This record gives sequence, C-alpha cells and structure tokens, in this order.
Amino acid sequence: MRTKKRLIAVVTAATALTTAALTGCSTGASDNGGDGTGPITFASGKDLTGAMPQLIDKWNEMHPDQKVTFLELSASPDDQRTSFVQDFQAKSGKYDVIWGDVVWTSEFAAHGWLEPLDADKVAGDDILPAAVESATYEGKVWAAPFMTNAGLLYYRSDLIDAPPTTWDELEADCEIAKQNNMDCYAGQFAQYEGLTVNVAEAINSAGGAFLSEDGTEVAVDSPEAREGLQHLVDMFANGDINAGAITYQEQESANAFLEGKAMFLRNWPYVFTAASAPDSVIAGKFDMAQLPGLDGPGVSSLGGINLGVSAFSKNKETAKAWVEWMQSEDAQRILVSVMNQASVRTDLYTDPDLVQVSPYLPTLQKAELTAVPRPRTPNYNAVSLAIQKNAYAALQGNVTVDEAITQMAADLEQAIK
Amino acid sequence: MAISLGTARTRRRRPRESRERDGRLAFWLVIPSVIVLTVVIAFPVISSVVRSFFGDGIGDVPFVGFQNYADALWGYGAQEFWAATGITYLFAGVTIVLETLIGLGMALVANRAFRGRGLLRASVLVPWAIPTAVAAVLWKWAFDPQGIINAITGSTVVWTGSAVPSIIAIIIADTWKTAPFVALLILAGLQIIPDDVYEAAKIDGASAWKRFWYITLPLVRPALLVAVLFRLLDALRMYDLPEIMTNGANGTATLSVLVVQSTLSQLKPGYGGALSTLTFALIFVTAYLFVRLLGVNAVDQASSGKGAGR
Repeated sequence: MRTKKRLIAVVTAATALTTAALTGCSTGASDNGGDGTGPITFASGKDLTGAMPQLIDKWNEMHPDQKVTFLELSASPDDQRTSFVQDFQAKSGKYDVIWGDVVWTSEFAAHGWLEPLDADKVAGDDILPAAVESATYEGKVWAAPFMTNAGLLYYRSDLIDAPPTTWDELEADCEIAKQNNMDCYAGQFAQYEGLTVNVAEAINSAGGAFLSEDGTEVAVDSPEAREGLQHLVDMFANGDINAGAITYQEQESANAFLEGKAMFLRNWPYVFTAASAPDSVIAGKFDMAQLPGLDGPGVSSLGGINLGVSAFSKNKETAKAWVEWMQSEDAQRILVSVMNQASVRTDLYTDPDLVQVSPYLPTLQKAELTAVPRPRTPNYNAVSLAIQKNAYAALQGNVTVDEAITQMAADLEQAIK
Repeated sequence: MAISLGTARTRRRRPRESRERDGRLAFWLVIPSVIVLTVVIAFPVISSVVRSFFGDGIGDVPFVGFQNYADALWGYGAQEFWAATGITYLFAGVTIVLETLIGLGMALVANRAFRGRGLLRASVLVPWAIPTAVAAVLWKWAFDPQGIINAITGSTVVWTGSAVPSIIAIIIADTWKTAPFVALLILAGLQIIPDDVYEAAKIDGASAWKRFWYITLPLVRPALLVAVLFRLLDALRMYDLPEIMTNGANGTATLSVLVVQSTLSQLKPGYGGALSTLTFALIFVTAYLFVRLLGVNAVDQASSGKGAGR
C-alpha cells in the first residue's frame, strides 16, 4: 500500500508541475498599465537584410517603456502565414504586430483577427494608392502598408535601343534574341504563387480581371482575360519563352537573365543588386522598364508587406503607434537605403540621394502608380490555386486558352463560396 | 497490460494478495502512457473526424453532416480526390515493386562476407539517412532542365514541367531514397537464416538458383512482407517529394498534398478533415487487406520456420 501512496504523490506532483508550467506561459504577458501601452512583440518574416534590428533599436531608444521585441519567423511565406493563423486562432495575442504579405490582409480582416486602423494616420495622401488599396477591405483600412513591390521588365540595353512598351514590340524584339542565340523572355511560370502574379499581369494588362472589385463575383470569363492568357501561351508555343521556363520560380528566371541566357526578364526590383554587382556578366548591359502591355505599358501586380495589429493584442495603442512610426520618413529611409526595399511613401522615389543608389526608383514608381493588387478576398489561397492550376495547364498546351478560362471561372466560383 | 502481467504471474503461483498488488501497480504504471496516448493520438484524430462534419467559412461553422465527404467523393472535389487517390496508389505500387527488387538485391550482396562489407553497408544506407525534404531538393535540382540529369544524358526533357516525366522523376527519387530501408529490413531477415541449411542443400547438390528459390526466399519471406507493409503504409502517405519537386503540379498531388492544401493553405479544416479521414480509411483498408491476404501467412511461416529445412 505504501507504493500506491507514493505513486499518487508522484502523479499529483507531476500534474501540479505541468499545470504550473502551462499557466506560467500566460501570466508573463499581462504587465500592461491598462491603457493599451506597453511592450509589444513584432512577428516578422525572416529579415534577409539584417537591418530590421536597426529600425527597432531606433524606436526602443525613443520609447523605453514601450519596447518592441523582434520575433523572426520562417523565410517561407506559407510557414509565416501558418504561424500567424495559429496565433490568431488561439487568440493568444502573443504577436502584437504581424508582418503580412499584401494578399493576406483581406483574409485576416474578414476573420476578425486584425484591429482596424485610422485611415488618416496610415493611409494618407503620402502613401502609394495601390498599397493603400491592398490594405483596405470592405471600406476599412486593416493594416499599415510598409514595403511595396512591383514587377518590372529587365532588358539587355546592349542589344536593344529602347525597351518594348507593347506585346507586339516585345515579340518583334525576340528576333534579336534569336540572332544572339538567347531565350527571349523569362518570368515565373511554375505552378506556385509567382504564376498567379505573372498571369494576373498579363490579364490585367489586357483589361481583364479575376474577380469583381469587391471580390464577391467572378469576372474572369471575358474576352480580355482570354487575350491576356493567350499572350503568354503564344510566347510558349513559338519559343519566345523557353519550354524549360515552365519550371521557373523567381530565382531560376533571374539566373537565366543573370547568366546572359535570356534577353528579357520579368521580376521584382531585387534582381538589380545581383545584376549590377561588379562580378556580374551583364553589369552595365541591362536596364529596367515598365512591363509591356497590350496597347501600351502593362499593369504590374503589386507585392509588398503590410503591418497589421492583432485584435488580441494587449497593448494595442503601442502597436498602432509603432506601425505608424514604421511608415514615417525616418523609418522608410532606412528601409530604402539600408534594406534596399521599395518604400510606400511617394516622396522617396524622387529623392536624389536615394535615386543615386537605386536608379530604377522613378521607373518603379511609374509601375506602382498603375499597379493592381491581386484579388482581394478572404479566400485568397483557394483563388490563387484555381488561377495557377488552369493557367498552368494552358501554358503546357494541355488545354486551350478558352477551356482554361472557362474552367478557371468555375473553380473561382467554388473558391470564393 | 494489466491482464497479461496478471496471467504471467499466475503461472508462478504467487499468493493472491501479491497478484492483486501487482495488478494495481501495473494499472498506475500504465495510466500515464494511456493519458499521453489519448492526448497526442486519440484527441487529434477524433477532433479531426468531428471537425469534418462541420462546414468551413468565417465565424460560426454550421453542422453539415456528411456534406464534406459527399463533396470529396462525388461532388465538386471528386475529380481532384480520385485523381489524387489514383496517383497515390500508382506511386505506391510502382515504388514498392522497384524498392523491393532493388532492396532484395542490395541485401543479398550486403549479406555476403567480403572485404569492405561494412563500408558497403554504411554507404548503401546514406540515401535513407538523408531527410526526405533535403533529398527532394537535391533531386529537384538534378531534374532541372539545366540540371545534371539532362547534362549527362544529353536530353532536353523538362522533367518537372509535364505529367509523365514528373511522375518518373518522383518515382526515381523515392526509389533512391527508400530502397536502402527495404534492404536493411531484408538483410536482418537474411542474417537469421542458419548456414547449415545451405550446407545441407549444397551436399544434396542444389544449384545456387535452387538454394535461393527454395531456401532463401521462403525463409526471408516474413521479413520481406514486413518491409513491404512498412513501405505500403509509408508510400500511401507520400508528401515531401511531390510537394517539393513539383508543388503538386502535373497531376502529382497525392492525398497528403491535397489534405495539407485544403486544411492549412486554404483554411478549410472541415473539408480537409474529411479528406484526411478518407485517406486514413483508405490506408487502413489497404493495410488490413494486405495483412489478411499475406500477413497471417507470414506469421505462420515465421513460427514454422525451423521446420523449413525438413
């Protein structure tokens, strides 16, 4: 009988310890004064530039009682999103501010996971309109645009005099690529998010759209959308896009251009750094322009990062003040000059100091002024998958453009249900 | 547990009181693992099944009964689901045959006594030791249009760009990765075959082929079937290779890829729960049939193994 008693004691002790450990987690975060200010945690994707601590230190020096803790998550956007969703579903409030891809804002807002923000403070006239649009859902602003991005056309300025502004001009220039034994055009065509971006650009440039403005109706079943997709399908069919490009993601396509194998490249501004490096084989031989379109400059897909305040945060006032500060000129200058990312502030694109470091800024601004966010819907991932699958089948030549668009419309209908 | 411990004690004719005490002790010793198993296995499985009877969407989710199952089996998702089921069984069937043949060959070689045998055994195991995700990335690079496979063979196939080449690429990667595992299990089976049965056969004048066919194969059969069963269970939940090599494109989305896409990426835990329950049921039935048709036999063979040299 003694054994039994001892066992019970052990089990009880173990249970008590476990309970203490579990509850211990939740008691740590409740040290706010009740006015919504206090220390906060900023959950961000992996900081590949290494400059984020610099931004955070600057804030922490100014606000010693409202310190920001930097929490670096995975480099993969999918994994980041999973972390955020799990935190929100648990209503833990562990992440006070989250760094979110522009396409997630609607989804997070629709679930009630984000705190609405003051449009005057985070979406004023000095912020790029397309970036503001990406942070808006059902008439309210749910996140502070922080970084932005738009697709650009890289071209070999040593081979052609002026960049093409239309698809016809692009195809005419492809003759020059053939004479030089190069691929003409590279982009992102593997079945993943990048394909959605590229197809969106083609379809938007031809005047089509996937969903209606408010994201509640399917709008892709149109002649314009067919014309846009047809452009990409044709380029695959006639070899202007190499057949191998069906496996390209960002880096593979950038490599084709960086190695001098492709004359044109559709990519984000980040390729500039590698292409202009002293040991690059194309340094000084390339330039960047707006994407070509059907009758004139095309429409870029908008990329970038919005900062959202968790609806479960205990220190919301500090969190809001911090995201506003991240948009300030001070913070955005560090973003452009140290982190080499594009600002959401319109005035920084013409700043002489910054343009000297990144000469593509004026071009990027032009692209961003006309850029279109990808479909804004709470079911973004299902929508994107429907786009990818059908566009991919068309690019492979397995289905006709007409069949692909018809099926895409049916799949989108299912996705937004 | 408690019962078996009790009966074991009975045989030794221990006093009744002592037996009872042991039984109680055993009960308390078993309780923690039962609790842990309940928390980590039963709870998630049951909650996923329960969740599958509810709809998906924002806010409160309605009870929908078997709607999610109907959607997957004959509704809107049917095409996708049956395509995924087909490709999963195709992968499982082809890779198991290849891996068993290659693994058996590797095991037979590794079982011979020769110089450098230890080195060979160790090197054979390297692919198995590499994490599947890492192996998938390596093979993805190898199968790149500009990758080493095309460079060596001089072909221009875009391996991960269309259906049949993608499927072949994934089968090659899986076979490379898992044949060593099969070899290891079969090798363990080979090593318990006593040398004297071979000697007896040799004296009787049996050829090498006859010795393999009438001695090695029947005696290694239990180990072989266990290896195949393990591979079957493993292959039916294949995820890493198609996810990384093709992102599920080109008709290579297996059931597991589909479950993850629905549950995590599209945030449809109800539909995803139905898919994972269906996947579980399929794997369970397949494994059950396998054990019923071959497995019971394997146990008989193992127990009467000593008699095989009669």
